[in-house]
Amino acid sequence: MTRWAMVADLRLCVGCQTCTAACKHANATNPAVQWRKVLDLEVGEFPDVGRVFVPVGCMHCADPPCMHVCPSTATRQRDDGIVTIDYDLCIGCAYCAVACPYQARFKVDKPGPAYGRDGVMRNEIQRQQPDRFGVAQKCTFCADKIDSGLASGLTPGLDPAATPACVNSCIANALHFGDRDDPHGNVSRLLAENRHFRMHEELATDSGFYYLWEKALNGNGTDPKMAAASRGVGGVGAAAAPGCWPRPPWQRCLARRSGPSP
Amino acid sequence: MTVRVEDGVATEVEPNFDSAQIHPAAGRVCVKAYGLIQKAYNPHRILTPMKRTNAKKGRDQDPGFVAISWDEALDSIAGRLKEIRQDGVRDSSGFPRLAASFGGGGTPTAYMGAFPAFLSAWGPVDLSFGSGQGVKCTHSEHLYGELWHRAFTVAPDTPLSEYLIYFGANTEASGGVCGVSRHAKARSRGTKRVQIEPHLSITGACSEEWVPIKPKTDSAFMFAMIHVLLHEKERDRLDLPFLTRRTTSPYLVGPEGYFLRHPASRKPLVWDTVTATAVPFDTAGAEPALEGTFEMPEAFELGADGEEWPRQGQQGRTSFSLLVDHVKDNTPEWAAQICDVPVETIRRITGEYLDHARVGETIEIEGRILPFRPVAIMLGKTVNNGWGGFDCCWARTLMACLIGGLEVPGGTLGTTVRLNRPATSRQASVKGNLDGIMDFPMNPTDKDNWVSRPKTRNAYSTLVPLVANSPWSQALGPTQLAWMMQMGENGAGLEHLPKPTRPDIWFVYRTNPVISYWDTEKISGVLEHFPMTVCFAYTRDETNHMADILLPDCMDLESLQLLRIGGTKYIEQFWKYQGFALRQPAIEAPGETRDMTWIASELAKRSGLLQGFNEALNKGAAGIPLRTDDYDFSLSPDSAHSVEEIWHASCRAASHELTDGEDSQGLDYYKEHGFRVKPFAHLNWYLYPTFEDQDLRFEMPYQERLTRHGKELANRLHEAGINWWDRQLEEYEPLPVLGDYPALWERALEDNFDVDIKDFPFWLITSRSMQYSWGNNAGLQVIRELAKNVAGHGGVVMNAGRATELGLADGDLVEVASPLAATRGRVILRQGIRPDTLLMIGQFDHWATPLAKTFEAPSMNKLVPMLMDLTDSTGSGSDLVKVSITRLDGAP
Repeated sequence: MTRWAMVADLRLCVGCQTCTAACKHANATNPAVQWRKVLDLEVGEFPDVGRVFVPVGCMHCADPPCMHVCPSTATRQRDDGIVTIDYDLCIGCAYCAVACPYQARFKVDKPGPAYGRDGVMRNEIQRQQPDRFGVAQKCTFCADKIDSGLASGLTPGLDPAATPACVNSCIANALHFGDRDDPHGNVSRLLAENRHFRMHEELATDSGFYYLWEKALNGNGTDPKMAAASRGVGGVGAAAAPGCWPRPPWQRCLARRSGPSP
Repeated sequence: MTVRVEDGVATEVEPNFDSAQIHPAAGRVCVKAYGLIQKAYNPHRILTPMKRTNAKKGRDQDPGFVAISWDEALDSIAGRLKEIRQDGVRDSSGFPRLAASFGGGGTPTAYMGAFPAFLSAWGPVDLSFGSGQGVKCTHSEHLYGELWHRAFTVAPDTPLSEYLIYFGANTEASGGVCGVSRHAKARSRGTKRVQIEPHLSITGACSEEWVPIKPKTDSAFMFAMIHVLLHEKERDRLDLPFLTRRTTSPYLVGPEGYFLRHPASRKPLVWDTVTATAVPFDTAGAEPALEGTFEMPEAFELGADGEEWPRQGQQGRTSFSLLVDHVKDNTPEWAAQICDVPVETIRRITGEYLDHARVGETIEIEGRILPFRPVAIMLGKTVNNGWGGFDCCWARTLMACLIGGLEVPGGTLGTTVRLNRPATSRQASVKGNLDGIMDFPMNPTDKDNWVSRPKTRNAYSTLVPLVANSPWSQALGPTQLAWMMQMGENGAGLEHLPKPTRPDIWFVYRTNPVISYWDTEKISGVLEHFPMTVCFAYTRDETNHMADILLPDCMDLESLQLLRIGGTKYIEQFWKYQGFALRQPAIEAPGETRDMTWIASELAKRSGLLQGFNEALNKGAAGIPLRTDDYDFSLSPDSAHSVEEIWHASCRAASHELTDGEDSQGLDYYKEHGFRVKPFAHLNWYLYPTFEDQDLRFEMPYQERLTRHGKELANRLHEAGINWWDRQLEEYEPLPVLGDYPALWERALEDNFDVDIKDFPFWLITSRSMQYSWGNNAGLQVIRELAKNVAGHGGVVMNAGRATELGLADGDLVEVASPLAATRGRVILRQGIRPDTLLMIGQFDHWATPLAKTFEAPSMNKLVPMLMDLTDSTGSGSDLVKVSITRLDGAP
């Protein structure tokens, strides 16, 4: 069974909002509508302060709260896990936006050009999305790219033409996409090699968006990659093993919540 | 990047996936590039040439711009140019009558098409009226970097790094996609970065440790590190072979402070431990002593203006011993108080640096065995410019040498050269001199050749030997001098320099000095009196508010230009390929906008400079020579050539270069493929192989050459009656003498503004925004929307605890005032900033640029004065000032 999932490596994300912008381009969203965006969070108190950037958007939950409250069945879920909105069925009640614990849903009632009364731009006219006014809208995991990519024999998450725009655009290579149910796929590998969490796990939404935050450790508590690095690069002379660096504040915060390394 | 076009409308920017194999960031583009669609269709865009109808210029004056035709615009400019040329291209002061200012750090040449060919055809151009480059950039690093290791900018060898210490360098914001991508990969590998800066920047966020240092005390921290390395660690943990063979550490110094030299060969002497005698440094078989004091046989010291001191039986000390002595009091205990950083932190970080340096290890790169030293120290601007910049650049470079990590894999590298030639190869620019160090094209300071009468308004070749005399040098001179000279009473200028005349005509391209410079109110005032200003204009802005003519050039998605890519350059662009990329029109030019190459050739044609224009293109003014000994794709000098013809010829030359003459495919090839490259040797990232091959030494630690030039410069200036550069002359020391830079800043403000500095208790600093770059996209809605997600934009960032003490709540409207001026904005309370520091991100305070003028975002530039007291010997200053904060109103 295919279950599409997104993975964000919090150690790599620099908060640049390139994914936010790429999504807006791919999906021609209105000003202030950000299906994908990146949060800028501060942790701690001066001088022991950390700062972490967290990409967010629709989590394509396996048990989506939005779907449960939708009165018109506009919000559904595909077998591959992608949560969809049928704009024609949506009545614009916005219950889903209230129900979503990830603030991932938007509703735009009328076109709002970026420059307001100063003028509508040619690209805004070209890419108007009239079926999206007055209804709920959100990240689609670029489903049309996935579907057309698969039909052409491409691999979502690997081939750019079949991969969500945000993942394609990430300059820090922090975003990954793939089939979580493929044991040999990129998502499975990333989840195996790294400690990870999902947002609001306690709400049991079975979110399809995973956050990596630390390398999974060896049985003896050492980081296998760090151990390899400390053995040196074909060189003469003993190098001091770097070991594991002390965690920055945001990782310490996550560590406290996550408990000891499994 | 690629652009998707539907029905002739640009709709989407995407990475160029075809370039994934050759581009260091896999063909991906930065967030700013996603603003280019709005940039093309912005309703505020100027779409026709315009001329001013209100002769009065000023912030409060409406320019009365009216639309005119290109013929009228170009003929009026060309007409004026012809008039100016008749009277001579230089004025009564000897300054160029034509001035031009471009924006950020050399990047505008990638956009201005054939305009450099027009300037070349014209003749002398004054580039002095800077918009920040030369003073607010990594300026001191540019100059010292090129001197010491051909490093116009300095970067770590990130892909091989293990441990990085960053003093304020904000690579995540300023390093482009290559910087971000490389550092993300490094983090994946386990590289640790320590970020030492007064606020927690986005780079600090992505680092393993943040050390909140007091502003402008970085030199003290670094000197303490050097002290620890030299006084608290075993000597043999340092890279002694590197120091002994690859630096001037063993060179012996005499009583006058100059190298002791061999009388016959005039070469610097070292103490040979094998023969127990002093010998010229390059004596075969010699094993120089790194440390010690030795009795000299006959020797002499060479001072300024050929002054010599013969020495016999006197003592000489090695430069290294002098260095050890120089830092003996700079303990971590001493530095901790200055920097407000715990003593243990300074010691630990130094220890980690040494532990990770892997002294003695080697690595193979493309068949060559080289030292492997995966540590580096990087400096942000405000650390590597202004007073203290010399100390910091020197300290960082020295610490690279102490562990043998300069210009080797894993270590501290230069990216490119702008002052030395050839510009295309750092390695080729290396030539040894008699002292065993690299030659450097200093501006002459000897009596016969010193440029006593400056040729441009910033007097760069007169005042700054180190800025050399390449085509770039002028723009790197002390640009604030050019502005300051215009600001004196009646433009009185500086004593004994030629009268600071105004340029007869000033061209402005992709830059907005009224926003981006210091003391922006005064800049605006200066521009009111410029007789003719021609601005290439995107939208109305604060600088073109003072223009006489606006010319709307094609923007990024509409223009045609071939540019060089690859090799090594900018902040962290290290490629294993080099070649060319074509920027080609994705959409039709909107309105009456025109390609820069067309505008440049029309200006050339109409002002009678067509031949010179074409010859300049043939010689390479547009990026590649069209005629060499190996090929001839030159343009006929007497005809006007179309934009496509010009770039077709460039493309053919590029193809020839890349294929060693096997083919010379032109414009069609590049239109189809977008780019073309050939391999660039990984070995060319490093200068160490060249130093090994030529048996050269890095000029570290002792700055004997610089000191001599400084003394000569002092002699020349004093002979000319110039005393206003004396403070700067004091900086020419063989080993930097640390100043109390915070106190220096406070004193400068007190002295120049007659204030009590205690009334200005906060340090105000700035930081780059990745979304806003230098600010040319401040009027784009989408950029504003994206930037709002990143904390700190648009307000005054302040420590939450300190704010509460002062009764300030998040969102309160405050006035931030320096002794010069005041700005206002809303406070943003954060934990990630020192209690004594305030931060304003980017450069705002717009009053003319559409959309941006509605932000009410504060800007530090208005608050920072241009002061001789705050200008260092290289001519740079720093974005730093002391301020007060006053609550005006509550949050909305």
